[in-house]
Amino acid sequence: MNQRYANPYLMGALLGLVLLFSFYIMGRGLGSSASFARLATAGVDLVAPAHAKANPYLGKYLSGGRSPLMAWLVFLSMGAALGGLFSAFISNRVKGEVARGPSIGVSARLWLALGGGILSGFAARLARGCTSGQALTGASELAFGSWIFMFSIFAGAYATAYFFRKEWL
Amino acid sequence: MGPLYKFGWFDFAYGLQMAGLIGFLFGFVLERAGFGNVRKLTAIFYLRDFAVLKVMFTAIVVCMLGLLYFSLFGWIDLGRVYLLPTYIWPQIVGGLVLGVGFVMGGYCPTTSIAATVSGRLDGLIFIVGMMIGSIIFAEIFPLLEKFYSAGNMGAVRLTDVLHLNSGVVALLVCLMAVGAYWFVEKVENRFGHRDSLPGGSKRAKRIAAGVLILLGLILALINPDRIVAQRPSPQALIKKKVVDMQKPVPGAEKPSSTGFEIVEDEGC
Repeated sequence: MNQRYANPYLMGALLGLVLLFSFYIMGRGLGSSASFARLATAGVDLVAPAHAKANPYLGKYLSGGRSPLMAWLVFLSMGAALGGLFSAFISNRVKGEVARGPSIGVSARLWLALGGGILSGFAARLARGCTSGQALTGASELAFGSWIFMFSIFAGAYATAYFFRKEWL
Repeated sequence: MGPLYKFGWFDFAYGLQMAGLIGFLFGFVLERAGFGNVRKLTAIFYLRDFAVLKVMFTAIVVCMLGLLYFSLFGWIDLGRVYLLPTYIWPQIVGGLVLGVGFVMGGYCPTTSIAATVSGRLDGLIFIVGMMIGSIIFAEIFPLLEKFYSAGNMGAVRLTDVLHLNSGVVALLVCLMAVGAYWFVEKVENRFGHRDSLPGGSKRAKRIAAGVLILLGLILALINPDRIVAQRPSPQALIKKKVVDMQKPVPGAEKPSSTGFEIVEDEGC
């Protein structure tokens, strides 16, 4: 497995150009967390359509007369999956495993991944975006709330990193 | 003039195809940088590898400069770029919780996609968690509705809060980024493992830092806001554009009247 990654400054500059391209073409930036919210909405709509439509938040994704998955960010995330797979494939980094630090077991790691996912999914809805859609996109437009959001992410993570050190180190 | 979609160059369906292309590049760059690797991502919180910060700040600075220069040259109408509104309290609390989710789960939403397609089961579980988290949010939304809209400041930018023009703010952001790079490399040298970090020559880094600061300084000196404000309004340009659009552009589809709308909080 090839562990050598590209220069972060170079990749950051490329990412900035991709973001600029997105602004120039569509007038909006990158993002992904809403596509998971939309996927979840589609799931709820499949199981309990009346319940989904009655919910004020899910109902927002269901309005407009088309599937909640017919959305810009959903296609962006599908593209990101393909792009990530292509990059991992050409560097021989595709490998089925549970990624974790040396001092944690598989099942503990998966439970923490689930918990972290739940917190992140909830927080991204509350803040109207995640690291890419809110922090990256908004900060490059100099949106005030996005800068505050970005520093809050670092604050939250650094404040609690000590408690999760056994998971990673 | 951009954004092309807002000026009716193509319709929703073509926009979705562009989303696929932009997403492909997005995922490709993230995986190249090593963001499908959970231990590389979380190393930032243990002061060992600041790739997350370097990629993020560099992308912000490059895109910010690009937007301001494009606007200065009249290539993009920033008034038509969707600006994320500020709701200060949910953003602070959401950021803090997302940070905890990041260090607990190891990913942020987009990097979990890169990890999942690289075959990491924990990345997939993280995605399942995000879907559950989104549903929990929706189910208790009636209770949160008030807090969700707390501290609404509208679409404010750093320029409004600091009472400075975009050029000066851009220079400050460039200086902050270069200062952060310098600082985190010091920290990396102290705590990180030399051989796991990608190198890069000192000379190239100095030149790049100089270019960033120079580009920021030029903006600060010429005050792009004043120059852009003196232009004829883009509304006049649109009318002209629409007339031009009567002739179908090869490859572009007809603009549709049912173009898609950006839902207000479609930030991410």
